[in-house]
Amino acid sequence: MEIGKPLQRGLTNGLSITFMMVKVIVPCYIAIEIIKHSGLIDIISRACTPFMSIFGLPGEAALCLVAGYIINIYAAIAVLTPLGLPAKDVTVIALMLGICHSLTIETPITKKTGANASLLLLVRIALSLFSGVVLHLLWK
Amino acid sequence: MILNALRDSLWLTVKLLLIILPLTISYEFLKERGLFRGTKPFFFVGITRPGLLPLVTGVIIGLTYGAGVIIHAIKEHKLGKREVFLILLFLSVCHAIFEDTLLFVVIGANGLIVVVARLILAAVFTYLAYRSRLFEG
Repeated sequence: MEIGKPLQRGLTNGLSITFMMVKVIVPCYIAIEIIKHSGLIDIISRACTPFMSIFGLPGEAALCLVAGYIINIYAAIAVLTPLGLPAKDVTVIALMLGICHSLTIETPITKKTGANASLLLLVRIALSLFSGVVLHLLWK
Repeated sequence: MILNALRDSLWLTVKLLLIILPLTISYEFLKERGLFRGTKPFFFVGITRPGLLPLVTGVIIGLTYGAGVIIHAIKEHKLGKREVFLILLFLSVCHAIFEDTLLFVVIGANGLIVVVARLILAAVFTYLAYRSRLFEG
C-alpha cells in the first residue's frame, strides 16, 4: 500500500477543513461573547422560569437550559452544578440539552453542509422539550 | 470580551487540527483499502454506505469537530440532498454522545438513559423522515 499519497491528501484535506471550520466558528464565538454580556440569557430564562414544572424542574433550571441552548453545555453545567439537583432532574436536563445545545455554533455549521438548518433547529428544540416532558412523566 | 473570543478561537483551531488531521489522514488510508464503496441503503433510515462515515464521525466526536469531515465526505461522495438532510437530522439529535453525556454523568445524571433515548429518538425520527418523505431537505 502506498503511504505518501494518502498521507499528503489527508494533510491537505485536514488543513483546508480546519480553515473552513475556523471561518465559520470564530464569528460565532464573537456573537456568543456579545450575547453573554447583553443580558439576553437572563431575560429569556426569567420568561421561561414559570414553565419549568412541565419538566418537573425547579425554576432555577431555566437559566441552565437557556445557557445550554444558546451558549454550550459547559455554560449549562457551570450553572447547574451549584443547584445540587437530584439525579432525576439532572438526567432530564442532560437529555434535553444533549438533544439541543450550542445552537449559536451548531446551526451555522449545519447550514454549511447544505441541509435545511432552520428546519433542523426547530426539530431539535421541539424534540428537546418533548423528551424532557416524557422523561419526567415516565420517571416516577 | 473580544479577548475571550480570540482565546477561544485560537484554542479551537488547535483542537480542530489535533482532531481533524488524524481523522482525514486515517480516512485516506481506509479509502485506499476500498472501504466506503457501495450505494445501497445499508439500513432502515435510508443512509448509504458512504454516508455512514460522516454519521459515525458525528455521533462519536460531535458536530463541531465532525462537521468538517462531514462536509468533506458529503462533497467527495456527492451525497444527495435528501441523504444529507437525513444524516444531519440523525446527528442533530444524537452527536458527541460520549462527551456530552459524561459531562452530566459527573454531576449525577443517568448516562445510559440519555444515550439510549438520544439514539432511539434519532433513529425513529430519521426513519420517519425517510419513509414519510415529508422533509425533502
